[in-house]
Amino acid sequence: MAERLLRRLVPGREGEIIAGDLREEFAARGGGRIWYWGEVLSCVAVRLSPHRLTAPDLRQDLHYAVRVLRRNPGYALTAMICLALGIGVNSTVFSMVNELFWQPLPLPHSGRLAIVGRESDGMACSYRDYLEFRQRASAPAGRFFSGLVAYDDMRVAIDSGGMSHIVGADAVTANFAEVLEMPAQRGRWFRPDDDRLGSDPVAVIGDGTWGRLFGRSAEVIGQRVRIGTQRYRVIGVAPPGFVGMSPPHMVEIWMPLASQPGVRDLLANPGEWERPLVRLIGRLADGKSTREAEAGMRALDAMIRRDFPRDNAPAGAVTVELATGASRPDVRRVAAPMAALLLSVTAVVLLIACVNVANLILSRSAVRRHEMAVRRALGAGLWRLARQTLAEGIVLGAGGAVLGLAVGYWSGRLLARSLPGFPHGGMLALRLDPDWRVVAYAAVAGLASAVLFTLAPAMDAVRSNAGVSLRIRQRDVYVVAQVALSLVLLIAATLLVRALGHALEVDPGFAMAERLEARLSVSEPEYTAQTGRLFLDRVLAAVRAMPDVQSATISHNTPLSITDARCAAPDASARPRRAGADIVAAGYFDTLGIPILQGRGFAALDRQGAPQVVVVNETFARRYWPGKDPIGQSVWLGCDVKEPRTMAEVVGVARDAKYASLDEPPQPFVYRPLAQDWAGFLTLIVHTVGRPEQFTAPLRATLAALDPNLRVYEIETLEECAAGSLFQVRWQAALLAVFGGLAMVLAAVGLYGVVAYTVAQQTRELGIRMAIGAQRADLLWMVLGRGLRLTAMGIGIGLLLSAAATRLLGGLLYGMSPLDPVSFATASLAWTAVAMLASYLPARRAMKVDPVVALRWE
Amino acid sequence: MSDYLGEFEQVVLLAVLRLGDDAYGVPIRREIEKRCGRQVTVGALYSTLDRLEAKAYLSSWFADPTAERGGRSRRYFRLEPAGVEALARAKAMFERMWKGVRLA
Repeated sequence: MAERLLRRLVPGREGEIIAGDLREEFAARGGGRIWYWGEVLSCVAVRLSPHRLTAPDLRQDLHYAVRVLRRNPGYALTAMICLALGIGVNSTVFSMVNELFWQPLPLPHSGRLAIVGRESDGMACSYRDYLEFRQRASAPAGRFFSGLVAYDDMRVAIDSGGMSHIVGADAVTANFAEVLEMPAQRGRWFRPDDDRLGSDPVAVIGDGTWGRLFGRSAEVIGQRVRIGTQRYRVIGVAPPGFVGMSPPHMVEIWMPLASQPGVRDLLANPGEWERPLVRLIGRLADGKSTREAEAGMRALDAMIRRDFPRDNAPAGAVTVELATGASRPDVRRVAAPMAALLLSVTAVVLLIACVNVANLILSRSAVRRHEMAVRRALGAGLWRLARQTLAEGIVLGAGGAVLGLAVGYWSGRLLARSLPGFPHGGMLALRLDPDWRVVAYAAVAGLASAVLFTLAPAMDAVRSNAGVSLRIRQRDVYVVAQVALSLVLLIAATLLVRALGHALEVDPGFAMAERLEARLSVSEPEYTAQTGRLFLDRVLAAVRAMPDVQSATISHNTPLSITDARCAAPDASARPRRAGADIVAAGYFDTLGIPILQGRGFAALDRQGAPQVVVVNETFARRYWPGKDPIGQSVWLGCDVKEPRTMAEVVGVARDAKYASLDEPPQPFVYRPLAQDWAGFLTLIVHTVGRPEQFTAPLRATLAALDPNLRVYEIETLEECAAGSLFQVRWQAALLAVFGGLAMVLAAVGLYGVVAYTVAQQTRELGIRMAIGAQRADLLWMVLGRGLRLTAMGIGIGLLLSAAATRLLGGLLYGMSPLDPVSFATASLAWTAVAMLASYLPARRAMKVDPVVALRWE
Repeated sequence: MSDYLGEFEQVVLLAVLRLGDDAYGVPIRREIEKRCGRQVTVGALYSTLDRLEAKAYLSSWFADPTAERGGRSRRYFRLEPAGVEALARAKAMFERMWKGVRLA
């Protein structure tokens, strides 16, 4: 076996000699199969080394290839555009993946910045732990970090021009800018005395905020701005392009950690070792690797826990990873399957583009058979000719990669601009800056496709005596493959689009039409639970008194974004299980149209001091009291970690609804009355008459009249909210539709090319047929039939492939079957129509064949 | 000619020289293994031999096939005058460099 390989790879006398030597030695050694294989492979390796293969001729080949392509600009351009589209979408998607997984922060020497985290994905440690880490990790004995910063991500409201805007913010330690080596664009960063208890609260704003809210005015420095619950003095503007350490989440405001009210209270208690939890980022000391730093930090972690024992220490071992991509592991975990899906889809698009180019080369190789024959006659080896084709492919691939980078850059801009359309999209940012990785990826894609699309034609050039019919059959195989692959993408896109429509039809269990919601902050320091409730009573009274208002209510969470959960148990000793939870005011069930199936909803009598009550949903009632009357039963709320459980009585059962998303299965849910429970961040829900959009401005005015300082965030209709919760499927449907459409166009071009080529080849045959009496319609059908036969085969294979592939979309289909016949049929029909068009154009040309001209042609 | 021999080229030429009339693949490899104590793969050996032949330092001819080699012939190598001269130049160069040098 090995010998046969050797003889094949090392042809002629030389192979004989080596084989002879090896056999002789094999006998002398008395065996050794592995040795023999090693020797054979050494010959192969020497022979295949690029030095030996290409050095003298490659330049000549490339030079010749460029000349050939310059003489056929139409062919070269078509091929390069096909490739550019394929490589373009690939590099766009890749630059997104690159940004989410590999790109370092846009800071000087950012390759040395490392995130300190926990294996459990949790926050790194408590603030006091951080101080210990910082002191011990930079002590001369264990110097892993030259600087260590603690920070915490949050969302805050910044007030400007009478509106509150929610933006991402980081509370950081004073050494932040120094460790990140980042000067302020204007003003200054924090000094150590800014990050002390009791110091004047100061903030640095991002470049984006500076432009949007302050019109890039220099006077912003020194101005007081309300951020969250305090007034901060703006002391600086961050450099443009810096949006924090957790991309794609955008941070636009930085404040000292110690200025945060929550942190202040905790730090006032010197015995507090468990909270607040912080994230850590550090600059690795010179010569230290992340691994060394990790080992060191783990040892320190153990020491600190021993020196300062506490009940609830952060779980999981300390991890130290370079700060690249989306530095938060949870973001990466969510993004990974999406990235894999998109990369494979774009790979398929590129594959289809490659097949197109292979087709082009193939039809040209038919034209160039003459040239090849002459070159062979003059003594060119087969391998030499094949290499020539490869060189042309490489030139095309390089051109395609360069154009593709341009296409990718442009479509990346487009994508980045469409991001703010997401819910909370203002807080996500993709830079999509092409860096060397993107360029390298495009180069590899170009080269790989060059090899791919020249392989078949090159083999064809080698077997130049193979008949035309074989070549035609080969092209047919390509077209079938293209149709099949693009159909898979098209079906996937159709499925997602239909799933989107399907999801919008899902009954959410509550009424959305004519309802409007407004987010309010009724929290400390302006309001306590007591004054807040009184204020909300006034809000509800005022809103209900407005014209065209049917009813109004208040809840803690916004419908379809309820992610709160509580521990609940049917008695004091049973192990609690989690159930979804919300805090709602009286009238909630009426305003949202959620029917109360048994008992009653909340009423004015459920106030503080009165017996604690809950309303549960059907699933909750079924879980704990199957077959029994749930009214009057007790529910114990609380997880027993710190506080004792509280007991509440079930007064009503509400119909199940959708709580967090439209595709969730029924889940147990418990409602608590606002009068007996409290949260400072609330949603006002108003049921209006007529179009709720027109109600936004009057509602703002009413709220401002009650409290000019009240923070009111986005006001949306519930329908807008629901649409927002579908953003992931909407986004993927849009991208897949674009890619699927592109794939179909490329494949249609391929089909057109093949049919047109056959028509050109068959001109004479068509002429003869016509001369002996064939009707034009017969010819039309002959040509059309060929295109449709290929399409039909492609569709058949594509349907089978899709049946296997669409299962991967399972989670995004909102309960629709991945084999949804309507999607499969729609996509197939669409393809058939396109195929008709693509083969009709050349068929029309076939009809115009003049028999006299065709016959005289020879 | 100012072409210098590589170290492995020198080793191969010397092996061919030492073996005289018996210089074909198998003994050349054995000679190098025995005297230098290093393993040589057949691929590396033949690519060097081919290179030396292309430089006209060596010539080769094919002997009649033998049964012990599965009916295959041997390729024998012989040093050409240019090869001898190249070896002499290499030796002289090293001697000049070593002259008066003491290690430690």
